[in-house]
Amino acid sequence: MEDKKEWLFMKVYDKQYKKLLIIPFVLLFIALVLIFYKYSTTGEFIEKGISLKGGTTITIPMVKGVNIEELRASLLSSFPGRDINIRELSRIGQSSGIIIEADVDPEETDELSSFLEKVERELSIKKDDYSIEIIGSSLGESFFRETIVAISIAFLFMGIVVFIYFRSFVPSIAVILSAFSDIIETLAIVNLLEIKLSTAGIAAFLMLIGYSVDTDILLSTRVLKVTEGTVFEKIKGAMRTGLMMSGTTIVAILTALIFTQSEVIRQIMIILLIGLGIDLINTWIQNAGLLRLYVERKQKPYEEKSGNDVEGEYE
Amino acid sequence: MKKSQAMMLRENMNRKIKKIFTNPRIIILIICLVLAVVSISPNLNVKGVTIRNVVANSSASIAGIIGPTPNARPMNRERILAINNVVINNVEEYYGVVEKLEINQTVHVKTNRGLYKLLMRAETEEVVLNETIKRIVTEEVFDEATNKTENVTRIVEEPKKEVYVLGVEDIGLRVYNPPKTNIKQGLDLQGGVRVLLKPEEKVSKTYTDDLISSLNQRLNVYGLSDVVIRSSNDLSGNQYILIELAGANEEEVKELIAKQGKFEAKVGNNTVFRGGEDITYVCRSADCSGIDPGRGCGVAAGGGYVCRFRFSISLSPEAAERQASLTRDLEVIVENNDEYLSEKLYLYLDDKEVDQLNIGADLKGRAVTDIQISGTGGGATNQEAVYNALQNMKKLQTMLITGSLPVKLNIVKTDNVSPVLGEEFVNNALFMGLLILISVAVMVSLRYRKIQITVPMTVSLISEVVLLIGVASIIGWNIDLPAIAGIIIAIGTGVDHQIVIADETIGGRSVQIFDWKKRIKKAFFIITAAYLTTVVAMMPLIFAGAGLLKGFALTTIIGVSIGIFITRPAFANVVEILLRE
Repeated sequence: MEDKKEWLFMKVYDKQYKKLLIIPFVLLFIALVLIFYKYSTTGEFIEKGISLKGGTTITIPMVKGVNIEELRASLLSSFPGRDINIRELSRIGQSSGIIIEADVDPEETDELSSFLEKVERELSIKKDDYSIEIIGSSLGESFFRETIVAISIAFLFMGIVVFIYFRSFVPSIAVILSAFSDIIETLAIVNLLEIKLSTAGIAAFLMLIGYSVDTDILLSTRVLKVTEGTVFEKIKGAMRTGLMMSGTTIVAILTALIFTQSEVIRQIMIILLIGLGIDLINTWIQNAGLLRLYVERKQKPYEEKSGNDVEGEYE
Repeated sequence: MKKSQAMMLRENMNRKIKKIFTNPRIIILIICLVLAVVSISPNLNVKGVTIRNVVANSSASIAGIIGPTPNARPMNRERILAINNVVINNVEEYYGVVEKLEINQTVHVKTNRGLYKLLMRAETEEVVLNETIKRIVTEEVFDEATNKTENVTRIVEEPKKEVYVLGVEDIGLRVYNPPKTNIKQGLDLQGGVRVLLKPEEKVSKTYTDDLISSLNQRLNVYGLSDVVIRSSNDLSGNQYILIELAGANEEEVKELIAKQGKFEAKVGNNTVFRGGEDITYVCRSADCSGIDPGRGCGVAAGGGYVCRFRFSISLSPEAAERQASLTRDLEVIVENNDEYLSEKLYLYLDDKEVDQLNIGADLKGRAVTDIQISGTGGGATNQEAVYNALQNMKKLQTMLITGSLPVKLNIVKTDNVSPVLGEEFVNNALFMGLLILISVAVMVSLRYRKIQITVPMTVSLISEVVLLIGVASIIGWNIDLPAIAGIIIAIGTGVDHQIVIADETIGGRSVQIFDWKKRIKKAFFIITAAYLTTVVAMMPLIFAGAGLLKGFALTTIIGVSIGIFITRPAFANVVEILLRE
């Protein structure tokens, strides 16, 4: 049964690769529409967290049995007009503390200290029992701009390296397009899940560039630089390795996701997980499909000549 | 027959092991590992408690105990081993012993560097009674008419005061449980305060250096030496100054560093003296600084309590001269039987009035170098008001000593990390790392079903972490949360690359392979491309966003570099030696 299913999938994957190519492009299109929609309705193309927007985050580990709604109502009554959010932290399904977020700026010293006092009183905790992160709105704004610039430069550099490496246009563009689709589609999903991005979350997108390109490079090298076997066989071989690579990474990410208690690490891991899932489609359907189109079109005139070469040469 | 086959196998194995340990790439890996471990120098048997900071003017600092410099390696810091022959094993035991110390007791503090003799002092509070006493005072006065300094003796009437002993004064040491390795834990992991400051206007490099040294001095006056202060820029050319105070959770420090500290004393609109160069001495000992014995504490107008502090300072002769000329033409007025000058002396800190003082009529036109500065502090209770007044005094003193900063700084970001949270993080990170390693090892074993691949892969992953942390401990950078994220990526990339090496060499083919060199070369062709893209992708982050993600980018880059240059070649060689027939 399992075999048959796999066989069916591989058959479709082999014979219908041109039609399959529609899937990643439709996904990319939907993602772009979603992001554009978000931008046109909210003026931002991501959901900014406190570290990109400015404000105060209070992390209180090891408090249990807190009525979040009551706490929020009580804080709001003392600080009307503030944007206050309270979330529960959980690890291995158990509550392990709470996070309070409020739009209090570091420049409002008095307001800030009375806010902290109120929190301390409400939860009967001491200064040493919790962590505070306060970021000014102007810094948050500039952080955001800076990281966007960093991602753009990173992407450009990555593209240059890929071009220098493969020295042919279509395969290089396929790799870059795959990485681009990964980022855009992941961003769209992150928005749909209403995840508020922090600075670390943006850094996760940078990690994603690195990881997603790894499998693309593996695929392109196998297809372009090895002459033994048909294109499909080469793709299948690359896929065995690539799926193993993604598999180990996904297992590692899942482990970290379940056991971490740091919000920073958790957000990085969620974004990577989404990205690596998306990357499976973009590498093995989009990039592989484009490569196959390219190679088979190039090979057509020599089709009769090329048979089973003895061993692959590569540059 | 069977026996000889087993023997042959064993011989073969011995030959292979010998080959592994004589392979240059593997020798390089082993040497690097040894260096890394030496640098980390783990020692589970460290005793005592490590000194983090020594409070200025405390019993401890008078006895000659010096706080560590920020660059001191964790394992090289001074540790307290025993107090009065009671062995100290951890922070709790330390506080247990210190709590029981008494006033005037001589305390022997034994550290790993020597023995110190401390004298415990009393913490006192002066309370003003409703009586007065007469006192004979002799002063040196400069007479401008004769141009000579003469001694003048007079009788002053002052309120009678009584000194209450509040308890034992703080010994002045801040300690923490001794680190067991030379790995420097960042703020996220050990707790502390991080402040990011932005100069209000663009300043040149020399000014930035001045700023940093002034800030350093201020914190040192406060007794905080374990501090990191550095400037950083971002891609848009903004300047920032980052201050990290490990383990400290002292609110007032934050205010202290953000204040420009421009201190001015004015009569009318004329400046009499400024903080810094006009002031030659600031008294900080108990006899001439503290809660003002003459005014003390009282109930504030709007409820709560207010206390008045005072301390004496010495002015430079020029400043004293200025004061003389500014007060010469003032009128003398009488208020409550006291004679004052018609103008008051106003004290300003960063253009905000701190206090206003009546100038005694006897100061008119005289170039007095010793004067008293005062201010207030309030609170809900008397005790709180005393505490706040003394804190305000300490801040003001610090700013008078260190002078003002060349530019105003704005706090743009502060993080207070609870030390409790930090300790949890470390344990959690270690636990998580172990689980990730196990799960990856299990997956690799399931896939390759060859111990010759699983074991080298796991060993090589562990070596990568050790090497990475070793490098961090050599160059003395902090392992914080972003750095941990960097380590995770480096390891993730490491696994990916080893899978590529394994698949390129033996994957899907029979074990008889004759063109090992070629296959390893092909594997490295792929992983070098992957390596280069990761490095160039991380590069912009080193310079972006006030350098807060610099640790993350650098850790990732160094991690993947260690992988590609040291561990992966070794891994490829081990796999080749083990599997090649």
